[in-house]
Amino acid sequence: MKKYIKIIVICLLVPFVWIGCKKDYPIDEDGLLITDRSECYVSNFELLGSDFQTVRSKSAVIDTTAQTINVEVFFGTDLKNLYPQFSLVTDAKLDPKITGKVDFSDLSNPKIYTVISGNRKVKKPYTVNITVQK
Amino acid sequence: MQNKYFINIFFLLAVLLLLNACKEEEYAIPTTKDALQNDVIKRTLGPNLVGLNIEFAYAMAIPKTRGKLISAQVEASIEGAAGTYLENRSFYTNGSGQDVGVKIGEPSVTEGKITKVNFSTDTTASTLRYFYVVPEAARGQTVTFNFTANSSNGETVSYSMGPYTISKMDMKLDLTVRDGNASYISIEDMAVYNAADAAAKAGKIDLVYLHRTSPTSFAHALVSPAADKQYLPGITLPAGVNNSTKVSKTYGLRDQQLARLQYAIFIDDLDFQKLNIADAPNFAINMRAESGVWVETADGKYRAYIFVNSVNNTNKSAVISIKRYAL
Repeated sequence: MKKYIKIIVICLLVPFVWIGCKKDYPIDEDGLLITDRSECYVSNFELLGSDFQTVRSKSAVIDTTAQTINVEVFFGTDLKNLYPQFSLVTDAKLDPKITGKVDFSDLSNPKIYTVISGNRKVKKPYTVNITVQK
Repeated sequence: MQNKYFINIFFLLAVLLLLNACKEEEYAIPTTKDALQNDVIKRTLGPNLVGLNIEFAYAMAIPKTRGKLISAQVEASIEGAAGTYLENRSFYTNGSGQDVGVKIGEPSVTEGKITKVNFSTDTTASTLRYFYVVPEAARGQTVTFNFTANSSNGETVSYSMGPYTISKMDMKLDLTVRDGNASYISIEDMAVYNAADAAAKAGKIDLVYLHRTSPTSFAHALVSPAADKQYLPGITLPAGVNNSTKVSKTYGLRDQQLARLQYAIFIDDLDFQKLNIADAPNFAINMRAESGVWVETADGKYRAYIFVNSVNNTNKSAVISIKRYAL
């Protein structure tokens, strides 16, 4: 009888040991998975007004070498209440985070957003240059 | 010994339960309640606005053996405005989906809070519509309704509905604004003025409607008089028209009462109370049909929602509807 109990206990313990030895996936301070990817760029950029309609007069020009996003907005766009939307390469994240409306009205000091790669080792600041259509 | 009895009793009870559970209940046609009965549904949806109807359907019936319907009445806690009535026709829907009315008595008589219809035809079942026109006295208050039916055998039944809150806001539909003519909008008056009238009511003018073809993104615009001159090209404002009204653009917020479209979206008092457009600009250009603007007047007295029902590029005009809330 004792022998059986011993075997059962051992059988139960083995999975614990097995789970304990498995390597955890690393996560960053936001609880996001840190991966092996080192790609770091913006693939698409959109700018929405307070009515959630686009304010771009044409497609945004993203220069991944110069790390700039040039976007022309319609005449009369309310630059103080805009919602930017970034599409990033897989696993990358953006800093600062976009939590709501962003004030882009200071055209002489363009906003800078930093893209952080999937492995969290490459950081590239992108400058968002806005021009207003005449 | 005792334990054994308990076990036996328990076993018997369990078997009984089992038997009961397995018995299939057979459907039986419900028997009619042998009395005068009634029921009410509210037919209107959305906020209850002053000047608009609240519509109910009041159904009443009595078994033929007991008698017939004699009268129906509705008592509102606040006297309805002129036009409040209880339908004197009972409607049914025919094969082609049309509502057909069958006259059951003379038109209703309203005395104070009570609206009454006397049946003149031999009727045992009827559904009457009740239209309550919300009076000015009810603004911001709650209203309750008491529906009562009487039958020839002396029976009386009643049904209470409510309380319903009457909104504080006002509504104005289908104001036509035209570039260079009726282009001065007053939220306080909920009206549109031309330049001459605007000069006389300078302090009340909150927005200017204009249409420009260049730049192409200008099109239809609602601009406050104090906005930057580049948003008022070619406009000479009447003397004293200088309010800086906050406007925040929206798109697709098709309030059912303003748009009268199929979307069940309703803007109510609460939306105006919670509205925060402190950082909004004082102009909105490139307005399209089915777009709108939230507005807060310069003196902070009113908040409003202006919905653009339609635009006309050739005539340089638009049709707008307004909901307004006094703070």
